[in-house]
Amino acid sequence: MAEQETTLTDQVRELIDQNPVLLFMKGTPSAPRCGFSMRTVQVLDSMGVEYGAVDVLPVLQPLRAVTSEISDWETFPQLYVNGELLGGCDIVEEMFETGELAEVLGVEQPAGDAPAAEVPVSDEPYKSPPMTIEGS
Amino acid sequence: MAADLEELKGMIEAALPGSSAEVIDETGTGDHLRAEVSAPQFEGKSRIDQHRLVKAAVRERFDDGTIHALTIRILG
Repeated sequence: MAEQETTLTDQVRELIDQNPVLLFMKGTPSAPRCGFSMRTVQVLDSMGVEYGAVDVLPVLQPLRAVTSEISDWETFPQLYVNGELLGGCDIVEEMFETGELAEVLGVEQPAGDAPAAEVPVSDEPYKSPPMTIEGS
Repeated sequence: MAADLEELKGMIEAALPGSSAEVIDETGTGDHLRAEVSAPQFEGKSRIDQHRLVKAAVRERFDDGTIHALTIRILG
């Protein structure tokens, strides 16, 4: 198992390196499977920024071990910006409210208040394909 | 097993000397908690590092499954 974990760690590092804005989340942006992931997606969507999203559910426990090792953080969602862990849902929301998130992402703060809760959590069973990590 | 809010407060304040913590049970179920913390150790640190300090203080209660979710609010 040690070899597999090493590979997963390398793959996660690569994903973080290759995606300036990367969200590890439960479910997908169109069908989040957790309220905290959903709220983080709503904030990101409201910023109008492109981001990569990785569904952690198919590999939850191994990924926890990996992010614990590389970022000292085990819970999801996790938002990485320019290779650094910015935080989970509460930090992202807080930074959105203060305008720091727009600054970090290099975009304009969207007009209006906090993003509307308009993305419903799907009632369907989890159907997304397993996380695919592409090699370089 | 419900979390002991006073114990968690004590764990945070012991790990971060000079800090002040309040731990609130958000849902009444004892496993979704909110911690409001101010500490001199937070100064000059990024938010994620501030949160890491708080989480590290109560890690034992995450590991044994007492806490499922902890929302952290840093009081400046």
